Amino acid sequence: MGRRHILLIDDEADIREVAGISLEAIGGWRVSTASGGEEGIAKAMAEKPDAILCDVMMPDIDGPTTFARLQENPETAGIPVVLLTARVQHADRVGFAQLGVAGVLSKPFDPMALSDLVDALLPPLAAGASEKQ
Amino acid sequence: MSAVPAAVQAVLEEHRGVLGQRMATVEEAVTAMVSSGLDEDLRARAERDAHKLAGSLGMFGLPRGSELAAELERSLGVPGGPAPAEMPRLAELVLDLQNQLQGLLEHTAEDEPQEGEDPSAANRHAVLFVTPDPELSDRLTVEAVGRNFRPRSAVTCVRARRLAAEEPPEAVVLDVTFAEPGGESLDFLEELSGQEPPVPVLVLTASEALVDRVEVARRGGGTFIQRARPVTDVIEAMSDMVKRVAPAHFKVLAVDDDPAILGAVTALLEPSGLEVTTSEEPFGFWEALTATSPDLLLLDLDMPDPNGIELCRAVRADDRFGQLPIVFLTSHSAPERVQEIFEAGADDYVSKPIVGQELITRVRNRLERVRVHRELAEKDDLTGAASRRRAGGTLGALLALARDQGQPVSLALIDLDGFKRFNDNLGDPTGDAVLRGLGELIADTFRGEDVVGRWGDDEFVIGAYGMTRDDGVQRVAEMLEAFRRQRYTNSEGRHERISFSAGVAEYPRDGGDIQTLHRAADEALTRSKERGGDRVFPVGPGTDIETAQPDIVVVDDDDVLASLLIDSLQTRGYRTRRFADGQEAADALSGASPAIAPSLILLDVDLPGLDGLAVLRQLARDEVLERTRVIMLTAHSGEAEVVEALELGACDHVSKPFSIPILIQRIRRALRR
Repeated sequence: MGRRHILLIDDEADIREVAGISLEAIGGWRVSTASGGEEGIAKAMAEKPDAILCDVMMPDIDGPTTFARLQENPETAGIPVVLLTARVQHADRVGFAQLGVAGVLSKPFDPMALSDLVDALLPPLAAGASEKQ
Repeated sequence: MSAVPAAVQAVLEEHRGVLGQRMATVEEAVTAMVSSGLDEDLRARAERDAHKLAGSLGMFGLPRGSELAAELERSLGVPGGPAPAEMPRLAELVLDLQNQLQGLLEHTAEDEPQEGEDPSAANRHAVLFVTPDPELSDRLTVEAVGRNFRPRSAVTCVRARRLAAEEPPEAVVLDVTFAEPGGESLDFLEELSGQEPPVPVLVLTASEALVDRVEVARRGGGTFIQRARPVTDVIEAMSDMVKRVAPAHFKVLAVDDDPAILGAVTALLEPSGLEVTTSEEPFGFWEALTATSPDLLLLDLDMPDPNGIELCRAVRADDRFGQLPIVFLTSHSAPERVQEIFEAGADDYVSKPIVGQELITRVRNRLERVRVHRELAEKDDLTGAASRRRAGGTLGALLALARDQGQPVSLALIDLDGFKRFNDNLGDPTGDAVLRGLGELIADTFRGEDVVGRWGDDEFVIGAYGMTRDDGVQRVAEMLEAFRRQRYTNSEGRHERISFSAGVAEYPRDGGDIQTLHRAADEALTRSKERGGDRVFPVGPGTDIETAQPDIVVVDDDDVLASLLIDSLQTRGYRTRRFADGQEAADALSGASPAIAPSLILLDVDLPGLDGLAVLRQLARDEVLERTRVIMLTAHSGEAEVVEALELGACDHVSKPFSIPILIQRIRRALRR
């Protein structure tokens, strides 16, 4: 009956910290972080989180590529991924959504609301994974 | 400041240098456009930094900053860089963005307590007036200062927004007299209502206002006041709103075995000014409860031994806490669990995972009602009910709250049957015991914040917030069933029972004010008395008793069961008719124009004459099922029977033996469809 676990992949330290605070304090998540796509993929393999929140624009590999790599690996293919993007263009967001991710969230986000938004996008099993088994 | 905003603030402190550097890169790029020309490397870096600013500023409370940065990012991202003609616009964007950032960074520095500041300033409520009329603004300001507020005013929404960002006001007075539908005032209203906690807004309107109330309600609401009213009234109304959202003296005790949930609850509720005490294990609970004597109790349903339900019952059993609002946190929303929660004496529940706004709203609503109740309660010693005058005031406040929140209120009028005769026969002391008994029963049945008033000698009014007419009938009927079981003894040792009649109305469906609702409930009460009393009638069309069609037909050959059922149904104001024989029932209910056309038929499967399924087939054949619902009562859950019954068009089935309350629930559900 451990807490549900989310992996946060973003190259921006301030965003990692604020999102982490929000997800921990409000959503009750256990949060681990990675500062890039490669590190994120490695951590996802090792930690098997219940969900992943991943930035779209990152210097090493971008969010969609990270997601595709996670999908290729049967060990991580089942983890729901929410993309985080500052792209405001509707077409971009639709394009991301069509990749098969659990959802797309915009940056900037409201720290008080982020956790609820993530919960709303995740499939019920991942969102409710903290409930007693 | 609560845990989360404070932590976010700390992150900002830590990263302000980075934000400053990014701003500098963007500025450098725009400057380079005029002087040395913008090279590709700088352009790319500036685009990336603008992107990062766009992605983070809103998170630190600067949504406008994010918008400006995003616009710069777009301009810097066009292939080959922005056109020279764009330069003035970009320079302006950079300037605006710098101003935004400066505000943010200075604001953090200002958070340190400043010496020489008026020490009382912090104790005065900050309020904001937004009106295009400077004269009105001046008059409001003068009045507000006199009432010990700290007012600021703005003529435009742009300015108002800036002031609100500098220091969040505790209430805003927004003049929409000249506002365009869909205009900026409404955007501002929406922003204020969307904040956490929401900033209360008093909306000034004129009868010829362009913006209508529906639109305002759609944008997050607000309380209305006519612009022509004296400024003293406006300030008074605003003052009420500030008081309403400042529940600083409210204490909440949260009990959950999961520290993460407790942490989240605290982080959510503390920004609303609530004092939150937490208890992780049920055994330290009584100590915490008596030590804090909270205004509201949050209980986890899923705790291990003793579980939330058991704790709730224990709390309710202690008369010191009989009125304490109890809200459950639960990961179960199955109707049986919900039923169990309410039966244990809870007032409300919130599903896990906790969705922030829902918890805050529910807790605040409960506490708001506690406050209204406390302020106005003035009790009758004998029955514990409020006096008529007081109850009237509280009901008015409850209706106003319900109007603001879009909630129903059920208003029940209760009158003892033959009380005068009873009193004459058994004597005044016994009569008093009856009144006291009824008062206690009402207090047990209804929640602490519901309004109970003694309207006349033996007449009570109950206002229950959030309850529909249907809920109210159900609750009062249960109370009547318990009341009938009580026996009263006179001085000679004679036992007697007494019953009551009731009429139930619903706000706003049956009336918008107390008088209208009372009149509607009284008409229902009169109909109940005309039928011999001892039953609860909802407001409804006053059908002629003799010729009226029954609402529910019971077809069952078991006399005991049928009479219990009919008694329960009549108590709830349903007109009933019973058949013990299947053939007789089929003759009366089916055919081209049936003699009896009820809304619902309770149909037993095993019947003499013609069995239940055969009756149902006739009803289906004659298209009676188009307008009448059928619940089958099956003796043994014969699956094949159930399947056939549902295929023929029965809407539900209940297998015997069943408890009457559960059947009543199913009946209500069937009739609602």
